[in-house]
Amino acid sequence: MAPANLSHRQTHNLLLISKLLNLRDTASPLTLLLDSLEQPATPLIKEYIRRAKISKVHVTLIAFETLKPLDGVDAFIPARRKSPSQIAKEVGVAYQNIKTNSPSSRRLILIDSINPLLRSRTNDAHSQLSTFLSSFLIPLSPSAPKVEVSLVVTFHQDVPSPPAQSPYSPSPHSILTYLATTIIRLHSFSHILAQKAARDRSLAAPVFGLEEEQDGILLGRLDKPIGKESAEGIVLEMEHRRKSGRGVLEWYILPPASRYSPQHVKEVVTLLDDHPLYRPPEEPETEAGEEEPESTFELRLTDRQKREREGVVLPYFDAQQGDGPGEGGRILYDMGEEDDFDEEEDEI
Amino acid sequence: MPSQPPLPPLLAPYVSSLPQSSLTVLSSVLGATGNWLILRFLYAALNAPSNSETEFGLNQSDGVKDKKVVFVSFLRGWEFWRSEAKRLGLDLARLTDKRQFAFIDGLSELFDNPTTAAAPSQPSFPGTAPPRTVLPVRSPPGPVPGRTPHLLSRPGNVSTNPASKEIGPVKRLHLSGNGTAALDALERDIATVMKQLKTPTPGEAEEPELVLIIDQPDLLLAATGPSKGIGATEMGEWVMGLQQNAYATIMTLSADSPLIHNASAIAHQPATPLETEHAAFAIGSAHRAQMVMQLRSLETGAARDVSGVLRVGKGGAWGQKDAGTEGNWEEKEVLYFVQRDGGVRVFGRGE
Repeated sequence: MAPANLSHRQTHNLLLISKLLNLRDTASPLTLLLDSLEQPATPLIKEYIRRAKISKVHVTLIAFETLKPLDGVDAFIPARRKSPSQIAKEVGVAYQNIKTNSPSSRRLILIDSINPLLRSRTNDAHSQLSTFLSSFLIPLSPSAPKVEVSLVVTFHQDVPSPPAQSPYSPSPHSILTYLATTIIRLHSFSHILAQKAARDRSLAAPVFGLEEEQDGILLGRLDKPIGKESAEGIVLEMEHRRKSGRGVLEWYILPPASRYSPQHVKEVVTLLDDHPLYRPPEEPETEAGEEEPESTFELRLTDRQKREREGVVLPYFDAQQGDGPGEGGRILYDMGEEDDFDEEEDEI
Repeated sequence: MPSQPPLPPLLAPYVSSLPQSSLTVLSSVLGATGNWLILRFLYAALNAPSNSETEFGLNQSDGVKDKKVVFVSFLRGWEFWRSEAKRLGLDLARLTDKRQFAFIDGLSELFDNPTTAAAPSQPSFPGTAPPRTVLPVRSPPGPVPGRTPHLLSRPGNVSTNPASKEIGPVKRLHLSGNGTAALDALERDIATVMKQLKTPTPGEAEEPELVLIIDQPDLLLAATGPSKGIGATEMGEWVMGLQQNAYATIMTLSADSPLIHNASAIAHQPATPLETEHAAFAIGSAHRAQMVMQLRSLETGAARDVSGVLRVGKGGAWGQKDAGTEGNWEEKEVLYFVQRDGGVRVFGRGE
């Protein structure tokens, strides 16, 4: 890729991810986080909360599987044994209480895992999924002050989806990916590195955890599979759909939270392509062009030497003039100032 | 082979310091069962300084709180656990009398309904219906003489089955009805026992840390299933409800290939409801867990001096709280060997 193109992509896509994670201008009303046991979404959710705290966004956590509220969450709504409409109502109430004393007009609603709801037997949540999700985004009454709501939903990809009610209805996963304005797939950085290393050698990429299909293995991730301290962090595979419908695809890396302070404002996410472990910096090449043999002698020519060499008329050109036998074929050379004229050898 | 310490040093950091309101999932397969590991958890919790035996209190700081354990087992009876714990030097009957431990039997009379309200459920599960099938107990001792059956009294439908051979200080669970109502009843029963144990006795200053161990609740899921209105979500919520009462929760699950992988998208045949529900429950629980301990057999086949592989990994919920409160442990994979005397050796590969 041309360097200019790359730098344009860098600035553009970094701005985009920072806009998405900072919830600016409701760039993405519905963000879907697709995680797995190999890379849970917890670090990214904490990052969302951290950024929301810096910019004073009201954070609501709808907890289908979290027992205790996370740090920094303003409203914690346990969703255990509740119907979707009940949850939606509680979420609305949680904001009304807070609105009077702090006029923050932005709001982040996190759902820690949508899977239990999709599998639930008591409420027919499967069919109401889009209604349930949009109930958070659409204001309760038209007269209510406008609130910018961003909804971040986590979906565990590895939990098998319930059998379809009707053979023609789409799976919940398809519905979610269809509805979402941004989809972030999470990968473990060490796994991405291992897969890249295999691909670079034209080997089949390794699989981890549940995909290994080994008896008794749920989790494949180990802290230091390669023994590299710096292979920490999570890889975000982002797909953002713009309002125009055009999609943007990019891979990013989010460093572990221990690498920066909680108050850090500058962007910490970088492009995966810019990470030194993923794409090692290329060796600085002296001359772009064909390879030259290495030796202790200086075999290369300077520009001036090259020019002069091209100026030399080779003997066979002279011989073609047909001045008669014996004539022509002489080496015609214009002496340079550094040439040393030798009377015995040289002739003009 | 020399006798092993009850708590192998490599294992100690993982079983002895459980973070608050955490879930630990212990997955096992048929060839590598987790009973020995549950016993290690029991030992780590119960053999703490409250026994005031100095020989065990060496590296226990003074600030460590009392620990109490409520143990709900769906696959094994009281006698099995009592005799197995004895081999570790843990007298469960005495601990029950001291109100440090309570055993809840979820197997013997789970489908034996005294009220006969849900009679239709009984004939459909002949395998699990009473009379109970006693799992092999190595040294079957009779009821302890001189020990009065100390039943945790609960008003209501508790009725000891006089025909039952086994009498111990045990509360028995009964499943009746369908769906969440049935699970709620079970939850209430267990929560009552937990509350009774949690109320401080006169000698204790503060509320003790209550560890809840749920042994193979997947039996409940397998025996009821979606047709009875109990699925992975309901089971998950049931466990969450129990977790709210406990300081830390340990749950064991089966992770055999057919139960986990047949339901995945890569499988070539449609999965049965049991397979999908079990996989969803097991994987969902791993997502909710701070620590996942996975037992499996050796990939290279059976060996004379290795029983299996233990892999300790960070579950989906790890990292929710700030570092430090969750303890500083490393993910690890070790081999273990259960000896004939019940002692366990835990060692790294090649050691």
